[in-house]
Amino acid sequence: MKKKTSIGKTIAFVFCLVFAIIWLAPLAQSLMTSLKAEKEIKMSGYSFFPQTFTFESYTDLFSTRSDSTPILKWFLNSLLTSTAATLLVLVISSTSAYAYARMEFKGRNLLFGILMATMIFPSIINLIPLYKICAALHMINTKWALILPGASGAFNIFLIRQFMLGIPKELDEAAKIDGASSLQIFTRIILPLCAPVLTVVAMFAFTGSWNDFLWPTLVISNVDKMTITPGMQILKGTYDVYPSHAMAGGIVSVLPTFILFLFAQKYFIKGMQLQSAVKG
Amino acid sequence: MKQKNRKKTNITPYLFIAPQIILFCIFFLIPAGMGVFAAFTKWDIFSPEMPTFVGLANFKEILFNAESTYYRFFRTGFTNTLIFVVLAVPLCIVLPLLMALAIHKKPFGHKFFQSLFYMPTVLSISTVILIWYYMFNKNLGLINNFFHLKTNWLGKQPTAWFAIVLVTVWWTIGTNMVIYIAALNGVSQDILEAASVDGASSTRKFFSIVLPSIRNQLSYTVVLTTVAQFNIYGQPLMLTSGGPNNSTNVLLMVIRDLAFPSFGGKSISGLASAMALMLGIVMIAIALLQYRFVGDE
Repeated sequence: MKKKTSIGKTIAFVFCLVFAIIWLAPLAQSLMTSLKAEKEIKMSGYSFFPQTFTFESYTDLFSTRSDSTPILKWFLNSLLTSTAATLLVLVISSTSAYAYARMEFKGRNLLFGILMATMIFPSIINLIPLYKICAALHMINTKWALILPGASGAFNIFLIRQFMLGIPKELDEAAKIDGASSLQIFTRIILPLCAPVLTVVAMFAFTGSWNDFLWPTLVISNVDKMTITPGMQILKGTYDVYPSHAMAGGIVSVLPTFILFLFAQKYFIKGMQLQSAVKG
Repeated sequence: MKQKNRKKTNITPYLFIAPQIILFCIFFLIPAGMGVFAAFTKWDIFSPEMPTFVGLANFKEILFNAESTYYRFFRTGFTNTLIFVVLAVPLCIVLPLLMALAIHKKPFGHKFFQSLFYMPTVLSISTVILIWYYMFNKNLGLINNFFHLKTNWLGKQPTAWFAIVLVTVWWTIGTNMVIYIAALNGVSQDILEAASVDGASSTRKFFSIVLPSIRNQLSYTVVLTTVAQFNIYGQPLMLTSGGPNNSTNVLLMVIRDLAFPSFGGKSISGLASAMALMLGIVMIAIALLQYRFVGDE
């Protein structure tokens, strides 16, 4: 019996190892390439490791006055829009989740039902009119077009509301007796208790906004106002024959979400599992 | 006074939901309604003119008018999207399930493996393609150099599809994997042990106990994955530009090009909306099918 489990473990390990190599290869290769000098790649062709390590491509990318790939600007634009989008999502989803979880009002179940039903609606259908609306609101080539449209997602409300339903009602009632208003109960009692689910929502909102690709290419045409994810498409075209620069740009573009993942991966994984548990 | 107080408590909930409802109406409900309506119109979104209602003309054009270029665009785009879905979805279910089973055995380093396999899902599609495009490079790419090949992966078929599917699998399957890992943790150990005592083989236990126990998560991921893969866009756009010979030109690329022409051409948003609606209906049908399955049980 014991022996059988150890054989199973060995097979599982070998299986994982093979895929780990496939999973790591592109990341390792791009990191290594980004640390080569362009000249070295041209002169000596393919090698996995650089002959000499250099940050040349990184410094070049950041210092170059090239107007076509202002990667530092893109990075800051992304940082600003993703942070703003995340805060907005947190505020509007948690306030409405609180109302749906804790308050009695006319039309509550109907409204919540409509919100939930819209989750099935494919976003491709509203893509074209959404552009027209953003144009009518003079939001083309502004950050608003990247921040506002994605913020009203119903799923975040659902997740937070589920979590709030698990918080004992006695807490609110005790506070109410002490004379606390709804807003005070919400901000002082409920929100702090919701920290885990808010963290999950915040991380998915941030990475979702950071990684948004198709929408920004429609509403942002000004290169200086671009975010970094659509920027990578431009970078790929511009540095087609300068792989070290292209890979350096790629490495820079993933840093925020990668770092977020390193420090908070359990929230990402919990979040995914939570979604499947409630929807499955 | 009492009356006033009551009124006040009545309005508070609406203040709490108002910000979301307002954004939801402007950026979801209205465009969704417009999107459905636009499918029955002739419309140039870059002109100030209102869309003109044309009835079912757009659908006739893309579905039945074999002479029309748009008929060909739609057919090619839809067929290519479908090919991708058929190629990618089974892999995006089976492979993460195998990974989850392996990790569930808790081999040495299983925490690391789980993180590593999940990690690509936090990357953006454009960076993923940037990285993989170089992997497939004919002279400088790791793949050709490692296997001593001279293959032009992205320039011909079926290798172009292979590349697109491989990148998609690498990028997305972490999500399903962590869902399956959680599901496997929920499989009853008592039943598994009882089956072992009765002499059931591992394969038997997998098909008779494990699979039925996780079928909710399986059906959830099948639907979600299928619907998600119908949205394929970035991979062919940046890896193959829809080539070779339009063989990877997927429907989202077609819709985008018609509604937002790149070189200042005329926007054909009505037809593009009709195509989007067709695609949307397919996705909704798939999602509803799941509710039926779950409802049946």
